[in-house]
Amino acid sequence: MTALEAGMLGQVLLLALAVTGALLVGTRWRSRVIGTLCALLAAAGIVTGAIALFGGEGSLTIPTALPMDPLVLSPDRLGGLVMMVVSAVGVLASLFGIGSARVASASRTSWVSMAVFLFGMQLVPAATDIVSFLLFWEIMTLGSTALLLAHHATRGTVASAIVWYSAMSQLSFFFVLAGFAVLAAATGGTGFSGLATVDPASWQASLAFVLLLLGFGGKAELVPLHVWVPRVLPEAPGHVAAAMSGAMVNIGVYGALLVCVRLLPNGPAWWGVLLMALGGLSALYGILQASVASNLKVLLAYSTTENMGLVFLGLGASVLLRADDATAAADAALVAALLLMVSHAAFKATLFLGAGAIARSTGEMNLDRLGGLGSRMPWTAATFGAAAMGAAALPVTSGFVAEWMLLQALIHGSRVDGEVVSVTASVAMPLAVAVIALTAGLALLTFVKAYGIAFLARPRSPKATQAREVPVIMRVSLVLGALGVIALGLVPGPLAVAIASAVGPAFAPDVRTVGLAGVDARGIDAVLDPTTFVVLAALLLVPVLIALFASARRHPTRTSPLPWAGGGSRLRPRMQYTATSYAEPLVRVFDDVLRPSRDVEVTHVGESRYLVERVHVEQSVSDVIETRFYRPMLNAAQRFGILARRAQNGSIHRYLSYSFVALLSVLIVVSL
Amino acid sequence: MFDTIYPQLIGLCTGALLLTSALMVWRHSLLASIRLLSVQGFALAALVAVIGVEEGETEVIIVSVLVLLVKGIGLPWVLAHETQATTRTDEAPRLNPTAGLLTVALLTILSYVVASRLLAGDSSVSAHAAPIGLAMVLIGFLLLVTRRQAGSQLIGFLVLDNGIATVAFLTSGGVPLFLELGISLDVLLVVVILYVFAGRMRNKFGNTDIDQLRKLHD
Amino acid sequence: MTGAAIAIALVQLVLFVFLSPLLIGVIRQVRARLEGRAGAGIWQPWRDVRKLLTKDPVRAADSSWMLAAGPVTLLVSSLLLVALLPLVGTLPLPLIPSDLFVIVSVMLIGVVALALVGLDAGTAFGGMGSSRHMTVAALVEPTLLLAVYALSIPAGTSTLSLIVETRLANPAVIISPVSLLAMVALAIAIMAETSRLPVDNPSTHLELTMLHEAMVLEASGRDLAWLELGSWLKLAALLGLLSNLIVPWGVLTEFSPLGLLVGVVTVTVKILALGVVLSVGEVFLAKARLFRVPELLAGSFALALLAVTASYLVA
Repeated sequence: MTALEAGMLGQVLLLALAVTGALLVGTRWRSRVIGTLCALLAAAGIVTGAIALFGGEGSLTIPTALPMDPLVLSPDRLGGLVMMVVSAVGVLASLFGIGSARVASASRTSWVSMAVFLFGMQLVPAATDIVSFLLFWEIMTLGSTALLLAHHATRGTVASAIVWYSAMSQLSFFFVLAGFAVLAAATGGTGFSGLATVDPASWQASLAFVLLLLGFGGKAELVPLHVWVPRVLPEAPGHVAAAMSGAMVNIGVYGALLVCVRLLPNGPAWWGVLLMALGGLSALYGILQASVASNLKVLLAYSTTENMGLVFLGLGASVLLRADDATAAADAALVAALLLMVSHAAFKATLFLGAGAIARSTGEMNLDRLGGLGSRMPWTAATFGAAAMGAAALPVTSGFVAEWMLLQALIHGSRVDGEVVSVTASVAMPLAVAVIALTAGLALLTFVKAYGIAFLARPRSPKATQAREVPVIMRVSLVLGALGVIALGLVPGPLAVAIASAVGPAFAPDVRTVGLAGVDARGIDAVLDPTTFVVLAALLLVPVLIALFASARRHPTRTSPLPWAGGGSRLRPRMQYTATSYAEPLVRVFDDVLRPSRDVEVTHVGESRYLVERVHVEQSVSDVIETRFYRPMLNAAQRFGILARRAQNGSIHRYLSYSFVALLSVLIVVSL
Repeated sequence: MFDTIYPQLIGLCTGALLLTSALMVWRHSLLASIRLLSVQGFALAALVAVIGVEEGETEVIIVSVLVLLVKGIGLPWVLAHETQATTRTDEAPRLNPTAGLLTVALLTILSYVVASRLLAGDSSVSAHAAPIGLAMVLIGFLLLVTRRQAGSQLIGFLVLDNGIATVAFLTSGGVPLFLELGISLDVLLVVVILYVFAGRMRNKFGNTDIDQLRKLHD
Repeated sequence: MTGAAIAIALVQLVLFVFLSPLLIGVIRQVRARLEGRAGAGIWQPWRDVRKLLTKDPVRAADSSWMLAAGPVTLLVSSLLLVALLPLVGTLPLPLIPSDLFVIVSVMLIGVVALALVGLDAGTAFGGMGSSRHMTVAALVEPTLLLAVYALSIPAGTSTLSLIVETRLANPAVIISPVSLLAMVALAIAIMAETSRLPVDNPSTHLELTMLHEAMVLEASGRDLAWLELGSWLKLAALLGLLSNLIVPWGVLTEFSPLGLLVGVVTVTVKILALGVVLSVGEVFLAKARLFRVPELLAGSFALALLAVTASYLVA
């Protein structure tokens, strides 16, 4: 038995342990024991993934009685990478769950489904054939659905969220199934190696590509299949949301990679354009909604849509450029997309865990009622801040390196040696740069808002005033996540080399490590060494600090009880800017896209026209895609349902006559 | 010497043409648009002159002088004279400037894509820049569609005309002198007639907002 | 080579820390003279910084460490900007070339630090300034990056020092329409990024019209000194970049003591001249209404996009 096989068997064993443990252990110890087992299950996933990433061999065969190929689990390098990323998020979520799970989320169902969810997610990348892929895909989906159901199943909003989630998951599943079915019909087998023989130029390949893209895009929360995200994630507890938004979306990306890198490499240019359009749209729409959201979890959920959009944009650029023979830039774009996926997993998991910590301490997710948490929850503030920097793509976090690489690939993509590669590329690349730039700018605003409003300034509600720091085990998880965000940003070189080996042998991006773990993409002449950058910044900080301390020794800081506020001395916390007011200018600028509904109600004092007693302002931004795209469809479906009910009125005579008519028509058709 | 800077000069002239067209979408004020139109006329004349010098044809140089007189000086003068005499109001176009500018950028890209299909074989410097003329035609249409006042619509019409002229000069090295003379005089005549009409209408109904002119009166 | 690059970075740092308050002094003085005032003299910003450093900073009880750390972060980000940009010479530091995307991100660190300082004290004005500042920053970014894209086309790289060298070797590039359109877009973006007219009025006294000033209202003493110095350095560095892109002559490409001296003198002259142009221009400009600013930025974005498109049409 090889190490890889042992790793996969270990995961199965730990799943069994966790499930039986969850059923046997009492309430008091359940979270601690099962949380630890889940963390171990995820850790086994990390080890297995690492073995596969570095070229370990081995396979696990599950015999079936059905007339088809046996199910074979054998992660390749790419699968190993994804398994590692997913499992790393799983470890963080499990550790956090030990401390944060209470009442409903500490129930038997909840922990069993958590273990099943993690297990399914970790083994999807190990599948080497359609059936096992879909099997673990469904285990993952069912696990996450049960996990949501276990939590506050009684609340109305949760029920509606779960209906949306299940419907969209099944839609994704249907698309994936249909896409694979087309490929399988074209080749006659269910193994991935067999499917890869389909000619990418054939119509079957194109049909399968579109179907699979829709299916995987739904899991990766792309527009317009994202509607479940802003409903489901705010209802899920922090660690579950982290696992879904930090890890599960990566399975969607893995699916798309499987299609573009393994099954149908070298597809036609329009696939790339389609991917880029879908990704660009998702990125812009996601970040726009995130920037105006006031609920912290909704904000983070939409930001996931944005990041996944960027990943798909990078993937699309690589397909398009490869079709145009700009191979160096294409490979750089692919590496950038994967870097972004890895860094997104790190910072988004940490951000959701931070949101979970805030929810636990204050019971409040509305940023308008938070504030001043920085001094009350310093650990959460620091870790959330580091992750927010990653999400805003600021140096030297992992998000920055990924976006930098993507931009470099794009600006080198439209020309090779000074010659324009194709009209499509020369239009698509500048537009993509513009989309990424606007997205990056809005992401900056979004996360300055999220961090600044929640952690800085003064508390805007009594709950925020009484907030306390979370228990040690949750802090450990937060710190691990934040360290991940920064560490991944400091070592882009080895990371990019590992990614380059993962997408091989079909693709061979020309990247190497320079300096202290810096990255050098030789094909496109792009070099960046974050460590040198940090050293330079530190050197520049030295004289500033010397001046600071020299001044501080002679002139100590004085504290005044109130801020100056331009002379306004009666300043109350309610007069501060809130998240809603922070995004107000943006709502105005993007009025035509967001279509906010605003209600202003002014109550006057007595008969006076000038003295105002109180002003009530209510503003809500709804999801345009939901109201304009899904609602009409649902209404149509409902009308059809009402019509169909007339045909089914329960009368036995009518059903018999249906059968009679059916029989008659069959006979007539046969006789013709 | 001239051959080395020829592409630069073509680039500068067409760049100025594109920039003035874009700025016309940006500015709402009629007077500003007229000034830009004049600059555009000068740029077009310069472009024609550059092409003339390159090809060494005197006729084309004479055409450039004609373009300068009609499009750079004549038309803007007529328009400005009429406008200053009557109205100074800014108008509110149907498309806000932000959306308008983004549309301009997209139209330019579109014309690039279309032209790269049409002129795939031609690799001369001037044919390479022909999409700018096409973009001007599209921008002229955009102005025609989105402006409410008759005066601003006229500007759109003139941009469209300049665009057609640009395409003609860049792709075929110009049109014969008499044809150009005829077209220029035609355009001048159309403008003068339209302006007289607009002035009469303004005197009669108070404004020339096209949206309010739905019915024919006897 | 590496030693020379480090030497140039050091020279740039020393020069700009000295030069940036002077630049602000010149801008204010020219403006004062043009408006018929006597003005405070070109050394006043220096005196202001000295004064602020010898005062006790006053911080509100509810403010956090951000009020102390934010200004230092802004200053360090501006210093990084000065060290990385090709101002005196184009010799790049090893492993971190003056890549424009990196430069923009360094600048954004300062933007974020300033916005967080604005939010920290928990006042209405601070929040307002911070919100508007971030909105402008978000909308400027597409222009900035697309202009960079357009400028990078002739050089085939986004490394600024190589772009400047290309323009030095081939001056025809400077007046090509691609470059002109991109430069106009870049100039508008830089005006917005450094809070100059018409986006923000640096000398306003009315809190409601403030962007930059509203965020620093709560800072005092050395905190304010760092903020001011950081913003001035940023303005000087970006003007230096702009002037080197428009007039690349005089910039040092091969290390020599004489060349260094020429580089220092020319960049000083260029920046001060551009500062004078800026202040003369500002006399004739009024601050745009806040909700007209997106229009301006969309305009500059369209210019940048046209520049990129034009690069395929005219060489």
